[in-house]
Amino acid sequence: MIGGIIVLVTGANPLGAYQGLLCGVGILCGGGENPALELSNTIVYLTPLITAGVAVALPFRAGLFNIGAEGQLLVGTIACVIVGTKLGGLPGIALLPLELIAGMIAGALWAGIAGVLKATVGAHEVVTTIMLNYVALWLIRYLIIGGPLQAPGAFSASSPISTSGRLPTFFPASNTLIVFGLPSSVFRVHTGLLIAFAAAAVFAFLLWRTSLGYELRAVGQSQKAARYAGVSVPRTIIVTMLIAGAFAGLAGAIQIAGVDKQMTDKYFSDTTGFDAIAVALLGLGSAVGIVLASLLFGALHSGGAVMQSDAGLSSNLVLVLQALILFSIAGNFVGQIRSLIPGLRPPPALPSELPPAAPMMTEAAAPPPETA
Amino acid sequence: MSALADIGHLLLTPGLWQATLAAAVVFLLPALGGVTSERSGVVNIAMEGMMLTGAFFAVFADLHLHNPWLATIVAMIAGGLMALIHAVVSIRFRADQIVSGIAINIFAAGLTVFLIGPLYGVNDVGHVTNDELLPNVNIPVLSQIPFIGQVLFQQNVIVYIALILLVLTHVVLFRTRLGLRIRSVGEHPQAADTAGINVFRIRYGAVLTSGLLSGLAGAYLGIAISNTFVQNMTDGRGYIALAAMIFGKWTPFGAFVACLIFGLGEAIYGYNSFIHISPYLLKMLPYIFTLFVLAGVVGRATPPAADGLPYVPGSE
Amino acid sequence: MSDTSGLAVDMRGITKHFPGVLANDHVDFSVRQGEIHALVGENGAGKSTLMNELYGLVHADSGEVFINGKQVHITGPRDAIALGIGMVHQHFMLIPVFSVGENIMLGREPVTGPDFYDRAHARAAIADLTKRYGLALNADSRMGDLPVGLQQRAEIVKVLYRGANILILDEPTGVLTPQESRELFGVLRDLVKSGKTIIFISHKLKEVLEISDRITVMRRGKVVGHLITKETNEEEIATLMVGRAVLLSVDKKPAKPGGVALKVDGLTASSDQDVPALKGVSFELRYGEILGIAGVEGNGQSEMMEVLAGTRRATGGHVSLGGRDITTMDARTERDAGVAFIPEDRRGTGLVLSFSIAENSILGRERAPRFSWRHIVLRLVAIRDWARGLVKDFDIRTPSIEVAARNLSGGNQQKVIVAREMGSRPKVLLAAQPTRGVDIGAIEFIHRQIVKERDEGAAVLLVSAELDEVRSLSDRIAVMYEGRIVTIVGPDTPEERLGLLMTGGGAREGVA
Repeated sequence: MIGGIIVLVTGANPLGAYQGLLCGVGILCGGGENPALELSNTIVYLTPLITAGVAVALPFRAGLFNIGAEGQLLVGTIACVIVGTKLGGLPGIALLPLELIAGMIAGALWAGIAGVLKATVGAHEVVTTIMLNYVALWLIRYLIIGGPLQAPGAFSASSPISTSGRLPTFFPASNTLIVFGLPSSVFRVHTGLLIAFAAAAVFAFLLWRTSLGYELRAVGQSQKAARYAGVSVPRTIIVTMLIAGAFAGLAGAIQIAGVDKQMTDKYFSDTTGFDAIAVALLGLGSAVGIVLASLLFGALHSGGAVMQSDAGLSSNLVLVLQALILFSIAGNFVGQIRSLIPGLRPPPALPSELPPAAPMMTEAAAPPPETA
Repeated sequence: MSALADIGHLLLTPGLWQATLAAAVVFLLPALGGVTSERSGVVNIAMEGMMLTGAFFAVFADLHLHNPWLATIVAMIAGGLMALIHAVVSIRFRADQIVSGIAINIFAAGLTVFLIGPLYGVNDVGHVTNDELLPNVNIPVLSQIPFIGQVLFQQNVIVYIALILLVLTHVVLFRTRLGLRIRSVGEHPQAADTAGINVFRIRYGAVLTSGLLSGLAGAYLGIAISNTFVQNMTDGRGYIALAAMIFGKWTPFGAFVACLIFGLGEAIYGYNSFIHISPYLLKMLPYIFTLFVLAGVVGRATPPAADGLPYVPGSE
Repeated sequence: MSDTSGLAVDMRGITKHFPGVLANDHVDFSVRQGEIHALVGENGAGKSTLMNELYGLVHADSGEVFINGKQVHITGPRDAIALGIGMVHQHFMLIPVFSVGENIMLGREPVTGPDFYDRAHARAAIADLTKRYGLALNADSRMGDLPVGLQQRAEIVKVLYRGANILILDEPTGVLTPQESRELFGVLRDLVKSGKTIIFISHKLKEVLEISDRITVMRRGKVVGHLITKETNEEEIATLMVGRAVLLSVDKKPAKPGGVALKVDGLTASSDQDVPALKGVSFELRYGEILGIAGVEGNGQSEMMEVLAGTRRATGGHVSLGGRDITTMDARTERDAGVAFIPEDRRGTGLVLSFSIAENSILGRERAPRFSWRHIVLRLVAIRDWARGLVKDFDIRTPSIEVAARNLSGGNQQKVIVAREMGSRPKVLLAAQPTRGVDIGAIEFIHRQIVKERDEGAAVLLVSAELDEVRSLSDRIAVMYEGRIVTIVGPDTPEERLGLLMTGGGAREGVA
């Protein structure tokens, strides 16, 4: 594992790093860590990651790179906070669904901007979604630093959402009830996990069992073939981005309603939407894969904190590991290296089998000139 | 409206335009790199990461070597090494170039922050003293011209270098044999290969150039505009450079025009006290500009025909 | 074969593996100096691979190569060029956005100053070459603006500029009109007179017999015959190519045309480049007949088929199907109305290569009630049954319906499309290049299916670049030239006359 080498090179204890990872899934914790707590933290982390992972994986199937899950997630948190604070008088049975739906709508609209730009003028979604990420980021700062959502007396935080609008946790928020040796209130695992699993299931069903999923995959594989079949490519692109944005917005709403209860400066440096890219790629775009990859990254993150104290590692190493995973997926290194072993010469050229193109503009807007 | 009057007053301030050009160069250098890379057929969205790496190592080297020029060279090498990864992954291993670019950017973000600990011991990089920054240079005589002198000839040394590189990139790409070959590789690698041109060498060279230029932009950001390294200090400027390149239809001067527009967006932020709007809303301007640019102007732009396509020898 | 004197090219024991394919199997191939040598074989017989090896684009696993008697190791095009070998590829190696001069000079550009491209020098060098070989060309035209014949001429000049003495031409006439082909043959004869050696790759036997001195035939990676052109004939070559006797004609009964199925009136449309491609196309297609479209590629046939199938918008005119106006219908509505379409681009358009056969079998009909519940949820069982039926009825060779289309041979891929489109019992069948790049066995099968469709009452519109195919299948032939149907003639019209009509020559005559 390259990760181990990097850890070694930087002079930290590699075993400690892996152990931190394992501790994240609740086994093999060193002295001082509570396995149950670590597992709880891992699950808290992976819950929005599954949902946001779907938001990246779905467009990926349609040939779209949604780098904007982060921005969509952020506007989802904004919408959730607005509903959760302004309509705080409503009972939970109405307020909670409203918060989640508001988050989904906000995320969908945010992603929809990129979808419409792609479908109509061919603006590449990688660039537009990244721009939308930054706009969302600065929008949050504006809103909670001197803006309309800033809580009275707080510097960079909104008011908390109404208690009726919160996702219930599995353990009561009590400081006196002791579970696994700790007060039950520290276990933040919440019912959003069930929503995340449902999102993964919806994703799989949509993709493989519906005509929309069929068309979406056709668009991703060959726009020409999709047009030939009578599928409207622009419409499919927009619908795909709307659905993806809804998933990402849902992740944001879950995070507010389940964990944070309010918008804080923590969201200025949130990376869930970026981790979701690695999750979607590592999960190979399947629902089960996304759940498993989310578990890995959840463990990396909660274990990252352990690593930092145990192995002298910064949790930013997690980012480096993510990048390495991406590289290896992108380059299909395993297959490539295997093909290199026999004669140590370049892999044989497959006649007329080029991988799908990734031009910076869509064919829809700018057909590349055919070579005669 | 007083806001309009404020803006009118602002537009007549030479300092705003001086700042616009200064900010535009942060976009221009990676955009020139992007033009070179994509003209050779390698999609490059990794300028962000290369620039960030450059900024980190520029600050690091300057703090230790106390020489901004050496630090700039270190930054360019760092950017070049990141580019080398992108080149190997996307040319040699024929990976999806967008995935590889995203990976570079994530890698750079993690690496730079991760290295702060081991290299500095504390989570603070330290500040480069003013006399060890890349210098501002006032061109004699010319800088005394009213208004224009301040805008064009009272700039950082990197600004002048960038403008020379702008002309140089244009001339090389469109007037020289090398440029013809770079463009042929980006348009039709098979044709270039059958004409005896080494497609891989040209592509490696072009991608590396984009890394050197992005690294230079990183140095400019780290030890000229700023004096320290901050986590994710590029703030998406590499992506904006990419948008500028597309807006400029893969030409150096076209990209420069776009960079000036984006630079104006950044410069206005610096003058936010002139207009009474939240600075955070102003911060959104360059990004919203980019969206409008992509929405409005770019629809018809055509990238090089083989942009993003790995080359497989012998295929048709 | 130890005597190599007088041999321009001598390749011995060439073997090349691609994953899963033995492209060249101990191939011996030799060409004499100053001859035109034809290399023939079906698609996938290994001709192009062999020539790519000679040109250094592909490296053989084993074997030896001698050029003018000397053993050589060609590691890339650069080596081949240095040895005086030049190649005109089937898909031109030209850059549309570059000028003719830049295209020709590429790789050997004249330079002035530090590294500046010397435009004036390039122009002079090209003028010199074109004068010497009588190949008029303007060095400053944009390559993409030239007609195909001139582009090919530029390719030949490009090769000559590099000092080639041995010219390889890969399927050079595939994109040319009969007249352009004749001009090309004139150029080739002149080149041989001035001492050049030419290797001519083709699968068009008539041309091979017309132009070559000797012939090498390949089948499935092996050389199966060395022939002297004067001493052989079309049947002998065809039999060697295919490995068995071939029926060169299609067996069919006279047509029994019924009522008008498709009425096309003054149809206009633009190409992808936004230039007018159809300039008022009018004809009637009847049930129970095959109407073939003859024409040089690029005269609007592709655009016409796409407009009729609903994947391209008409800019004017009308199309009606059994009296119902379908001009503005999209592809889906048209398909539902009974129009089936076999597109010319099999791999990119007709199939989603990564989809399984079962998934491809419902492409365009995934929302039909038969295959999806309320147009939303796919009925997987019904889809599998349908796909299994098609595999059986159309003899698609595959281990399972879950195999990805990518992993089928070209012939079986085409059968999947033909099966899907015919399996829905269309009223009108639009078939564009239905047998392009398909082996002879599959061609025979597809031809039989098309005739069967006609006999069962469907109206068939056939577009093919192979004039022989149009002539043998059609009941009537419409000649298309520059976006118009210039005339409609009977299927027995001589080839020479069709060739003339296809290039805008010949008097207009009434509808036959």
